[in-house]
Amino acid sequence: MPISDIPILSMLRTKLHWSQERQRLLAQNVANADTPEFKPSDLKPPDFGAGPSGVAPVTLLRTSPAHLASSDSTAAFDLEHGGPFEIVPTGNAVSLEDEMLKVASNQMDFQAATALYTRGLGLIRTAIAK
Amino acid sequence: MDLMKSIAIAASGLRAQSGRMEIISENIANADSTPAQAGGDPYRRQIATFQSEMDNTLGARVVKLGAVKTDPSDFQVKNEPGHPAADANGNVKYPNVNPLIEMTDMRDAERSYSANVNVINATRAMIQRTLDILKG
Repeated sequence: MPISDIPILSMLRTKLHWSQERQRLLAQNVANADTPEFKPSDLKPPDFGAGPSGVAPVTLLRTSPAHLASSDSTAAFDLEHGGPFEIVPTGNAVSLEDEMLKVASNQMDFQAATALYTRGLGLIRTAIAK
Repeated sequence: MDLMKSIAIAASGLRAQSGRMEIISENIANADSTPAQAGGDPYRRQIATFQSEMDNTLGARVVKLGAVKTDPSDFQVKNEPGHPAADANGNVKYPNVNPLIEMTDMRDAERSYSANVNVINATRAMIQRTLDILKG
């Protein structure tokens, strides 16, 4: 069983991938903060098939074909065009403060996911240690 | 690596903003440039424009500095009969540069520039985190 098939690690990889894509979009928003008629975009959070209760246990997720079938990491994420906070007369709808907040939270998400990934690898290492 | 793309996009923002800064400084430096010959036109204020362009290798819309436009508003006219550039009535045309507007514009460019720098720093931290996975 390759490491990439371990549910928790593949979920984390999806999450890392999502953060990476989101960072690209946020960079695009910030770079175009002064371009006329530019509308910012964002990514929808990845759907891990959680039930209505919000958080589904990992064992349940294993039975859900919708989620674990996607072992390839190039899963596409949907763009989200949220209602713009403010639009300046040139038609630009980027709010730099908003984007900075998103960049910071994206960075923290990424950090959390990499920390968990390291832990996951540590567990495997513990399991194979003598 | 995809995170490098984020850095490249933010770098396009840095380039565009520094180009804008260049034009603003040109305006400020020439705020008092009177006409070369008597009765002629002085320096005309320039305006930087931005346009976003689809970059296919990055798969994102990067920002580029568009054509530099000139401000069509009227020049300031001052009556200085002794001035070498004065016309027959003793009027001298001064550039249509308003230092206050240039200053606000400059702050705006500065703000956008540091926002792009922030994105680069955040992305760098993310790359560093990815490398830290290897350390375990």
